[in-house]
Amino acid sequence: MKILVTVKRVIDYNVKVRVKPDHSDVDLANVKMAMNPFCEIAVEEAVRLKEAGLATEILAVSVGPKACQEQIRTALALGADRGIHIETEDFPESLEVARLLAKVVEAERPELIITGKQSIDSDNNQTGQMLAALLDLPQGTFASALKLADGRVEVTREIDGGLQTLSLSLPAVVTTDLRLNEPRYASLPNIMKAKKKPLEVRTPAELGVQPRAHTRLLKVEAPAERKGGIKVASIDELVEKLKNEAKVI
Amino acid sequence: MSDYIHPYRDAEFVLNELVELDRLCADAGLSDVNGELVSAILAEAGKLGSEVLAPLNRTGDTLGVRLGESGVEETPGFADVYRQFQEGGWPSLTAAEAFGGQGLPNVVGTAVNEIWHSANLAFALCPMLTQGAIESIAHHGSDMLKGSYLPRLVSGEWTGTMNLTEPDAGSDLAAVKTKAVPQGDHYLITGQKIFITWGDHQMTENIAHLVLARLPDAPFGVKGISLFIVPKFLPDREGRFTVRNDVACVSLEHKLGIHGSPTCVMSFGDKEGAVGYLVGEPHKGLAYMFTMMNHARQAVGLQGLSVAERAYQQALPYAKERLQGTNKDGSRFSIIKFPDVRRMLLQMKASNEAMRALALVAAAETDRAHGADAARHQGRVELLTPIVKGWLTELAQEVTALGIQIHGGMGFIEETGAAQHYRDARILTIYEGTTGIQALDLVGRKTLANQGALLADLLEEIGETLQQLEAGGERFAVQANALRNALEAGREARRFLLDNAARDPSLAGSVSVDFLLLFGYLSGGWLLGKSALRAQALLNAGGGDARFLNAKLVTSRFYAEHLLPRTGALLAAIKAGSASIMALDEDQF
Amino acid sequence: MAILIIAEHDDRTLKSATLNAVTAAAQIGAELHLLVAGRDCRAAAGQAARIPGLAKVLLADDASLAQQLAEKVSPLVVELAKDYSHIVAPATTSGKNLLPRVAALLGVAQLSEVIGVESTDTFRRPIYAGNAIATVQSLDSVKVLTVRGSAFEPAPAEGGGTPIESIHFAGDAGDSARFVGEQVAVSERPELSSARIVVSGGRGLGSGESFALLERLADKLGAAVGASRAAVDAGFVPNDRQVGQTGKIVAPDLYIAVGISGAIQHLAGMKESKVIVAINKDEEAPIFQVADYGLVADLFEAIPELERKL
Repeated sequence: MKILVTVKRVIDYNVKVRVKPDHSDVDLANVKMAMNPFCEIAVEEAVRLKEAGLATEILAVSVGPKACQEQIRTALALGADRGIHIETEDFPESLEVARLLAKVVEAERPELIITGKQSIDSDNNQTGQMLAALLDLPQGTFASALKLADGRVEVTREIDGGLQTLSLSLPAVVTTDLRLNEPRYASLPNIMKAKKKPLEVRTPAELGVQPRAHTRLLKVEAPAERKGGIKVASIDELVEKLKNEAKVI
Repeated sequence: MSDYIHPYRDAEFVLNELVELDRLCADAGLSDVNGELVSAILAEAGKLGSEVLAPLNRTGDTLGVRLGESGVEETPGFADVYRQFQEGGWPSLTAAEAFGGQGLPNVVGTAVNEIWHSANLAFALCPMLTQGAIESIAHHGSDMLKGSYLPRLVSGEWTGTMNLTEPDAGSDLAAVKTKAVPQGDHYLITGQKIFITWGDHQMTENIAHLVLARLPDAPFGVKGISLFIVPKFLPDREGRFTVRNDVACVSLEHKLGIHGSPTCVMSFGDKEGAVGYLVGEPHKGLAYMFTMMNHARQAVGLQGLSVAERAYQQALPYAKERLQGTNKDGSRFSIIKFPDVRRMLLQMKASNEAMRALALVAAAETDRAHGADAARHQGRVELLTPIVKGWLTELAQEVTALGIQIHGGMGFIEETGAAQHYRDARILTIYEGTTGIQALDLVGRKTLANQGALLADLLEEIGETLQQLEAGGERFAVQANALRNALEAGREARRFLLDNAARDPSLAGSVSVDFLLLFGYLSGGWLLGKSALRAQALLNAGGGDARFLNAKLVTSRFYAEHLLPRTGALLAAIKAGSASIMALDEDQF
Repeated sequence: MAILIIAEHDDRTLKSATLNAVTAAAQIGAELHLLVAGRDCRAAAGQAARIPGLAKVLLADDASLAQQLAEKVSPLVVELAKDYSHIVAPATTSGKNLLPRVAALLGVAQLSEVIGVESTDTFRRPIYAGNAIATVQSLDSVKVLTVRGSAFEPAPAEGGGTPIESIHFAGDAGDSARFVGEQVAVSERPELSSARIVVSGGRGLGSGESFALLERLADKLGAAVGASRAAVDAGFVPNDRQVGQTGKIVAPDLYIAVGISGAIQHLAGMKESKVIVAINKDEEAPIFQVADYGLVADLFEAIPELERKL
């Protein structure tokens, strides 16, 4: 069974973003970039399935500028077998990414597609669902557990207030939540080997997709700074303030 | 957010611009290794360091280690850290491919080791000692010893230790008393060793101890010491390492710092004698130790950088967040606004960047000593090693002290965490040869023994950088002036030593540490001057990270203005010679 | 054209997140229609009809819509979409599961977690875990958006008398996606992301056992219990308790942070709370810089005392 995982290049989660002074966007110049943490979970899950003998090949796909190849290499170091980089000038919107991925899925015919539930930059939480819709595939979003059996995949989903389990026919799209697994660190020997694994570069034109804009980013601002309040001296004072001043209890 | 983040920009700047890593790899025939791969390696090591090693640094300090029924129990959590470290294949980084190593250059290993030592100095000593054991066996062991020990040490399945010191044999190893008696294909070792770092733990199934001991027929003194390998567990009939050898940790030292690293008193042969195997030829143990010394000493110098970097990363957010100034409107501002706090932060930053540059440039000389112009590069290794060890670790004392100073009273309180780095750093000027020993090595074997030829070669190369700075005109005037003065001080110190050492037997020993520090500051000034040239070139070409490169120019200038002039004071002290130092009778002290 | 709001419900009852979505839709300004899609969901539709300000409640009751699987509900919404300028759902796990699928089928973008309505086509939404707020204009003919409940006051639940219009929908009975089961938390405590009060613990708690202190306090307050990443990483509590950039984003009326230093990562998950209380023995802890009320105290003394005095 072939698994396709998607990996996105995003700002490293340790880096605090800065809004550009002209409010046109956040400032990503020379900021440390890394693989989206939810995509790491997707790669890890695929690798575990392969280690368990349930998958035979893992294909890592990334859409974006040339530098995305670093994240594909990371996926290869983590255990993916080959990479496809769909090279675009900028990061297209989610629907366009889904359209590009759909073309790759049609050509590669994976039985399972695992994506992160969201990327920590745009926080959209939609590409996996959109890809499933475009391909008319079932979706198991926000997965915290995944089990392959009888030609189907059973996905335990994190929903508000609990867990829901769905059984999906294959091929299916699964999007990862935090608890699905704890991604491993790439080992040194695998980082070295990743350099030699195949990485194919495609363009949207080759895939017959012309990404277009659905939204216009008008402004990006820093959120209102929260001001520190007061220090209270005792529990009694705290209870009094919460009751009479803040009126929250 | 983690407490420690690898300063990958600076490390990569030094590797690419000062070390010229791509060329080094190409010259060494490592076609697969380049800056891009190294940056992927550093990124992953940085992640493991930040997320796995660093969070337990404090735990190691507060919980320490204890001696239990079955030996030393390392700090809770360290075993899991070790497992992840081992599974990542990190012990194999520079080892030979024949034994499962990755065969990466020493300079890459050094850049990665900076991360481990910054993240968790006490923990990182364990793989550092293992690396020492690997090298001893790789260089001097028989094929059989190599075959049975190297793959397990390289994979990290086992760890290694170095057992040199005895209660009566510290800096003077000639006094080693531990005995080795031949018995069939092996030897029985008896004796006691002290200060054995990571001498015992439960993280791996076996530990390979490298032990200096005397054979029964050994000549007296340094020429009578042999090197043995003594495993904690010996193989049983099935070849599994389950039979306990007669070696044990009998007590643990209580130390000022590096509490997470067990410092053991090791007892060999309390019962029937510990089974050991001779490494190489008899009576050559100390000579073998010398072949590894450059590497071990540079590794400790690197620890100085690492702990200083960690202290800086602890002090910086504190300086940005600590509100301790009041504006006219009553609002408060953080202490980083105060010039003196900025001075301290810059001193830490500039010191660290100078240390990193020197540590990596010196490490690269080891790689280059295997290629073209080998003799010259080996000479440079010999010269730079005591400077890296001595100067970096001494500078680390100052940087970690500044780390506390920036915290004010909060720094003196253990909970803040700044004090740990200061305490941890304190051992660095002592073990693997004190600063005094390094300085004697520099003035004696590395200078007087070759009539200053090695230093002359270095001074000439620094002179070339000075010319480039001078050619840069006004932009580099500050760096050029400071470097010119420091270079002249270096030349004069060298001449003074060569001219006067024979006349006054106490001179070399009296001025040696100042001499070492002078060449440390000068080397730092040289490499930060070179950094400024490279940073400006990149800025002119419109490449790289402009904020980082501009900061590099400022740091280089700060170093030239505030640290490099120390060479002048050191020269004055050197020229004062030994007179006052030797003048008092011992009972006048 | 009108706005279609997708109701959040479990067939029997309407979920409160629907009310926040109604407020958001009302701010866009058009006739509001509310879709209740499910199986045997007339009761939920009945509750929806009592929300004031709606023009119509659409009831789609079909066996294929049981458990409201996205694969089954999305064709229904797509079919209805031609009559609407906007499709709005709460940014709950069900809204986030469904709406991107709807948007893709319509060939339009979906805007996630909208926190502000600027005009009929321009919205504000958090990006980078709330460390930046983007103002985004939609260029699509149909605007599909999920709205963050904590950013909009709930509409009144009672007082309206909206007509319920049943729509005939015979969905696909295929089983490409099949419901297997559900484990909804049996905890008496409210759910973390919708609780009115959250009590969270950090590394300062020192152990998992100490969380019992917080749980007692939470029970007294009717609060949910959360944790910082440090507490989760230390293994004190399972990671579904984690509040922060990579955990749950919460914005309760009252957030009580106990023994939490206030890493940026954690602040990203709770700084939209209306009132923040921090209890920490380290007076330098960054959490105090965002707290409305800070108390420098040993939590092991302060928490039992607080519990007693409430």
